[in-house]
Amino acid sequence: MKKLTVTTDVPTEIHMTRTFNAPRRMVREAMTKPELVRKWMGNSRSPLSSIESDVRPGGRYRYVFQLPDGSTFAIVGQYREISDERIVHTESMEGMPGESVVTTTLTEKDGKTTLKIVMAFPTQEIRDMVVSTGMADGAGESYDNLEALLASSPQLSA
Amino acid sequence: MQTTARLDATFSALADPTRRAILARLAKGEASVLELAAPFEMSQPAISKHLKVLERAGLIERGRDAQRRPCRLVGKSLHDANKWIERFREFWEDNFNALDDVLEEMKKQEGKKGK
Repeated sequence: MKKLTVTTDVPTEIHMTRTFNAPRRMVREAMTKPELVRKWMGNSRSPLSSIESDVRPGGRYRYVFQLPDGSTFAIVGQYREISDERIVHTESMEGMPGESVVTTTLTEKDGKTTLKIVMAFPTQEIRDMVVSTGMADGAGESYDNLEALLASSPQLSA
Repeated sequence: MQTTARLDATFSALADPTRRAILARLAKGEASVLELAAPFEMSQPAISKHLKVLERAGLIERGRDAQRRPCRLVGKSLHDANKWIERFREFWEDNFNALDDVLEEMKKQEGKKGK
């Protein structure tokens, strides 16, 4: 199953799980090499406009996204740990408080790799805010369609 | 319908970087207009305008202390906004679907090299 699951049971965390049909080393490479990352991260309305990253423990990275209105925002952080089965990095929106620690675990089985990502925030408020702003920013596309979605989403009018 | 209007106001309020920064500041604890204005190098009236938008969206509330009227976050609206975890999920789902394609491409490349 390729389906992505996202859970928020722990009040200060977001957990994501997704399985890829490729060996672990390939998934890790695609997640860390800038020339590969730019092929999949971001979307048509909010593309990645630049990546600087120094992929080693203590190395910093900066991903800049372009928004539909021409402005940009950056996700910045530092790698803490990189091994075959684990990547740990910090992450925040540039200029905003509220850094999260993101632990990515890669497990390979029968040539497939399961990715488990745990994003840990300092407080629930910060987690909720990052999720909300992440929606408004990163998914600029969704924001544009917000009214239509609000009108068509039954769970929201409940 | 009321919820829809409120959510609409919430997301309009969240769309502005200054207002998000104000919320981020308030996530650390309540603050007066003066305290909020300082780090942004904005006038008090400009900050007050942003606060009104946030208050109307139900994201913050103002204390009754007439002098200071401290601002604080209101959890519920952020919680409602949090229903949009679904939007977050879709953002990552799109990314990971694109990653599938990148991995297929990598496998092809490697297959060529192997021969």
